[in-house]
Amino acid sequence: MEAETIITESLTKFYGKIRGIEDITVRIPSGGVGFLGPNGAGKTTFIRTLLGIIRPTRGRAQVLGYDIRHEINQVRDRIGYIPEFNTSFIPDTTAMKFVAFCARMNGLSYAESKQRASDSLFYVGLGEERYRKLATFSLGMKQKVKLAVALVHDPEIIICDEPTNGLDPTGRVQMLELIRSLQTDEGKNVILSSHLLRDVEQTTDYAMVISEGKIRAEGNIKELTANRRSTVSVKVKTKTEELLHALEKRGMEVWIEGAFIEVKTNPDVEKEIFKTAFQIGADIRYIGSRSSTLEDVFVSLFKEQEAPIQ
Amino acid sequence: MRESNTNSTAYVRKFSFRPFEGFRRGRVYRLAAVSWYWWIHQWERSRAIKILIGFLLFTFVLMNMFILTFRDLMLINPYTGEAISPNQLLEDTILQMIRGIVSFGMTFTASGDTSNGFSEASFNVGGTSIFILILVVLVGSGLISDDISNQTTEIYYSKLERHEYILGKFGAFFIFGNIVLTLPYVFEFFLLVIGIGEIDLITALPVFVHTIVFTELITVTYSSIVLAFSSITRRRLYAGLSAFMFLFVANMIVTSLAFTGGEVGLEILFDVLTVLLLSSYILTGTTTVRLQGFYEVNLTDGVGLESWMILGALGFYILIGFLIVVVQVYWRHGK
Ligand SMILES: Nc1ncnc2c1ncn2[C@@H]1O[C@H](COP(=O)(O)OP(=O)(O)O)[C@@H](O)[C@H]1O
Ligand SMILES: [Mg+2]
Repeated sequence: MEAETIITESLTKFYGKIRGIEDITVRIPSGGVGFLGPNGAGKTTFIRTLLGIIRPTRGRAQVLGYDIRHEINQVRDRIGYIPEFNTSFIPDTTAMKFVAFCARMNGLSYAESKQRASDSLFYVGLGEERYRKLATFSLGMKQKVKLAVALVHDPEIIICDEPTNGLDPTGRVQMLELIRSLQTDEGKNVILSSHLLRDVEQTTDYAMVISEGKIRAEGNIKELTANRRSTVSVKVKTKTEELLHALEKRGMEVWIEGAFIEVKTNPDVEKEIFKTAFQIGADIRYIGSRSSTLEDVFVSLFKEQEAPIQ
Repeated sequence: MRESNTNSTAYVRKFSFRPFEGFRRGRVYRLAAVSWYWWIHQWERSRAIKILIGFLLFTFVLMNMFILTFRDLMLINPYTGEAISPNQLLEDTILQMIRGIVSFGMTFTASGDTSNGFSEASFNVGGTSIFILILVVLVGSGLISDDISNQTTEIYYSKLERHEYILGKFGAFFIFGNIVLTLPYVFEFFLLVIGIGEIDLITALPVFVHTIVFTELITVTYSSIVLAFSSITRRRLYAGLSAFMFLFVANMIVTSLAFTGGEVGLEILFDVLTVLLLSSYILTGTTTVRLQGFYEVNLTDGVGLESWMILGALGFYILIGFLIVVVQVYWRHGK
């Protein structure tokens, strides 16, 4: 499998004067990726641009090596898409017929589409209800039908846009479990867009944080959360680089994040930092353990709460 | 619950949730899937549609029984007592029938028509045209508006190009038009050929072609107008009502003008159904028609209503309807 599923370059979409997304340049790794951002951040716009539902104002994107401008139909056949809208249905058809129909739009033969529609509906747990009309379905069931639609043509990437919207706690857990198992058991690349950190944390390993149409942070969730929990952030007035190298020489795990140097915790870490700083003559402005979860990153990004500076 | 769930998942995974290895069909297949799905869906969904189609077929049978019973009578012109050739009877009957699809009250006769008058009076199937129009509106009004209100457009556009979507929807209407209009009348043509007997098929060929061309023309015109209305609103009821009004009310107004003895001039061009009806005359080579049996209009004399205006107006309606759909789908839906 390729290392990256989706590559974009300055992907931008303006709705007239309203910004949808702006200059998104990302390389989305294969596996599960969470797309995290508050409402209006541009998540849906990004997804719809990738699927060719809307045209980008400028920029380029490749999905599995196919250019979205010239090979959009190749892209579409390889993506399963769960739209965020709650009513994306033809109410008076049976689930089977609807899902099979969607498969046909992706080029599956008549017989194949029926067989796979049945399989997908079983997979999402609607095997018993597959001959019932969609109008009689609860929201949770409809959401699962959408997942079945996304799976039926055997895509390599499955994009779920706010799949837990409006679901009760049980439905939410079931949905997230299904999405999770698509990655772990079926080896699909899953992109989960959500404004809820919890959803992303529970389902994917990698997260991208988006707000106001731009990517603000990205990385492995484990690193972003677990590692953070045991790091110490240091801010110095000058000589950031020197301190970084000096700490590295002492065998510590360090990296730069914004204006801060992050140091992985070990006993006496603070003492060592002070010592090193003193040796090279750096003036420490702040030291302390910073954001302990991704949630904090998330909140700080959106509420624009900077880490306190002592 | 949980137990059975995992069981079925395990089952599926073991036996049937498998990668898709077949080849994917081309774009035309997908487009046809859209068309076909709509037609099947409408058929299953609406009892009214089944009843109406059943009713139309029933009137068909009735009409044929009538024609065939009085066949010998009809081979004689009741006014002049002259014999009418079987081919002429076939032509008069089938043309009246297909023109009846778009004529509610407005009747035309070709000037100097050899018509026996009998078929005029008895077989003007204008009576069923209202049912056909209702059927058209029932089937067509939701074609696009349902997708807007259900937000199914999002699913369509994530799989198809917009022009494929448009063609698929027109295709849906085309399937309907062929099942409800063209096929029955082609069938009718052959029924008449057999029923009347002694028909020279070579001579009758132009009539046969016109039967197909005209019914298809009706389908194209109706589809363009109904889809245009369907694409501008998210409510199928509004789409249906306004399409119906647009077609029916204009027809009533123009017809009543003619009936009350008012002059019918160029305003006839606002009436899509009459424009369609007149097109049939023009396409079969008639140059002078009589409206309601009184007003004689020469369509090629360079005065007043002319053939080119009628065909032009028809083309205009079809084009405008189509353009509205295109504009809505490309620039407004799901943007
Ligand atoms: N069809 C549209 N027309 C105009 N503005 C839009 C449209 N869709 C989204 N936007 C705007 O683009 C921005 C991003 O929206 P969206 O992609 O839906 O965000 P998210 O999915 O993250 O909630 C918002 O400011 C929204 O108002
Ligand atoms: Mg959204």
